[in-house]
Amino acid sequence: MKLDVIPIHVADQPPGEPGLSGNAPPLLREVAEQVRRLLESGEPSAIDLSALPLTPADLDWLQEKLGAGEIAVTLQASGESTLNETACPGVWWVTHRNEQGVVTSQFIEVAFVPELVKAHPADVAIGLETLELLISDL
Amino acid sequence: MQGPLIDTLARQGVSRRTFLKYCATLASMMALPPAAGLAMAEAMAAARRPSVIWLPFQECTGCTESFTRSHSPTLEGMIFDMISLDYQETLMAAAGHQAEEARHTAMRDNAGKYLLVIDGSIPLDQGGAYSCIGGRSNLDILKEAAEGAAAIIAMGTCAAYGGIPKANPNPTGAVSVSDIVKDKPIVNIPGCPPIPVVMTGVLAHYLTFGSLPELDDKGRPKAFFGETIHDRCYRRPFYDQGKFAKTFDDEGARRGWCLFELGCKGPVTYNACATVKWNGGTSWPVESGHGCLGCSEPDFWDAGGFYKALSLPADPLKFAAAAAVVGTGAGVAIGFANRSKKGGAKSAHETTTLDDLEK
Ligand code: SF4
Ligand code: SF4
Repeated sequence: MKLDVIPIHVADQPPGEPGLSGNAPPLLREVAEQVRRLLESGEPSAIDLSALPLTPADLDWLQEKLGAGEIAVTLQASGESTLNETACPGVWWVTHRNEQGVVTSQFIEVAFVPELVKAHPADVAIGLETLELLISDL
Repeated sequence: MQGPLIDTLARQGVSRRTFLKYCATLASMMALPPAAGLAMAEAMAAARRPSVIWLPFQECTGCTESFTRSHSPTLEGMIFDMISLDYQETLMAAAGHQAEEARHTAMRDNAGKYLLVIDGSIPLDQGGAYSCIGGRSNLDILKEAAEGAAAIIAMGTCAAYGGIPKANPNPTGAVSVSDIVKDKPIVNIPGCPPIPVVMTGVLAHYLTFGSLPELDDKGRPKAFFGETIHDRCYRRPFYDQGKFAKTFDDEGARRGWCLFELGCKGPVTYNACATVKWNGGTSWPVESGHGCLGCSEPDFWDAGGFYKALSLPADPLKFAAAAAVVGTGAGVAIGFANRSKKGGAKSAHETTTLDDLEK
C-alpha cells in the first residue's frame, strides 16, 4: 500500500497561490548571481534545496520557471539520481533518490558540468587497465 | 585493511559516484553547505581510518541492530569501513581472553587517538556488579578505556542519559557516560534506538574537519538535533488548525490529523525522525499513526505516560525544563580543549567476583 492512499486533505487553504510560500522567487536571483560567478571565475556552486523552507509547490514553481534543457543525465548509484540541465545552460537540477525511490536530497547546481558526471582520474586509470587487458587478449 | 576508504569501498562494489552522492546527501542532512559534500568525500576517501573501540554496557543491543540492519547495508554499513573497529563484542569473531587482549592492544597502540563508542548505561549499585564483562564492572572498564580516548560517542539514550535502565525505580543505579567521564569530549547520540545516519555524520565530520560537530546543551549534534519533531512534522498544519485525533480509530485519525491529544511528545523532543525518517526513508512513527515517545530526551520513560497528552499545548518548555533538572548530569555543557584532566583514574583493575554479586 502506498502512503498517498491515506487521505490527508488540507482544509481552509490559505488565500493566494495554493501552497506557495514566496521563498522561491529570491532563489532565482541567487542562481543568477551564481551563474555570473561561474562565467567570471569558473567557480561552480550549488544551492541545497532540502535545507530551505520550500513547499512542494515552491519547488514545482522553480522547476517550471527554470524549464528543461537539452541534457538529462541519469545516474544509477544505490538508487537513481537525475542531473538535468535546465533551460538556462550551466544550471542543473540535481535529485538524489535512495534504493526505495525516496528523494534524499535535491540541489540546484551551477557548473559547466556537475562534479558527479565527470569521471575521476583514478577511475579512468582503472578503465585504462581494463582496456590494456582487453588488447593483450587480442 | 588499513588502506584509504575509497579502495575498501571499491572492493565492495561501491563506486566513487555512489560515495560522492552519499556524501552530498549527508552534508545536506547536516545542514552543511553543498561544497562540504565534496570536501567530505575527498577527505574521507583518503583518510586513514581511526581506531574505534565499541563497548556495550547495560543495553539491549537495539542500538547495534539499528546500525547493522539498516536498509541499504552497503551504505549505512559504511560507518564500519570509515573506521577500524578494533573491539565490538557483538560483531567480532574473537571471544573471551582473545577479545579482551584485542581491546588492550588497540588501547595501547592508539593511546590518546582512538574513538570510544559506548552503548548502554553504567550500573553503579552493588559496586557495579549488575553488569560485568570478563569479571570486571562496566564502571571499571569505562574509566580505563576513557583515559586514552580522543573522544567518546555515547550511542543511544541509555549511554547518553541512562535510558530505560535508569527508569524509576532504577534498580541497578544506572547512570550515563557523562555522569562518570568528565574530562573528555562526549557526543551524545540519543534515541531508542538512535538514527544510524547520525553516527555516520559524526564520524564523517570527525574525519573531514578533524573535530567533533557542534553540540547542543544536552551534548547532541545540533545538525541532527537542532529542531523538534514537531517543528518538522508534516501533521503540523493540523496542529495549528486545532484538528486533533481523539482516538486511534476515529475520523480524525483516518484523516491524518495531529496526534497531540493521543500523547505525542513531538513538541518537546529534539530528533531528526521527521526529516530523515526510518527504514530507508519509508516512514516514521507519526507517519504510521503513532505519536512520538520522546525517546531522544533524558528520562523519556518517566515522562508521564506515552498516551497522556503533554499538559499544556502552548508551554512545551514545562516538560523540557523538568527533564533538564532530572538530567543535570547528562546535560553538562561540553568544553573540549580546556577541561582539567581528572587525576588518578584507577588503572589497576578490581575484579568483581561471584561473592560480590550475592552480597
Ligand atoms: S504534536 Fe506530534 S503529530 Fe502533532 S504536529 Fe506535533 S509532532 Fe506532529
Ligand atoms: S518519533 Fe520520537 S519516539 Fe519515535 S524514534 Fe523519533 S524521537 Fe524517538
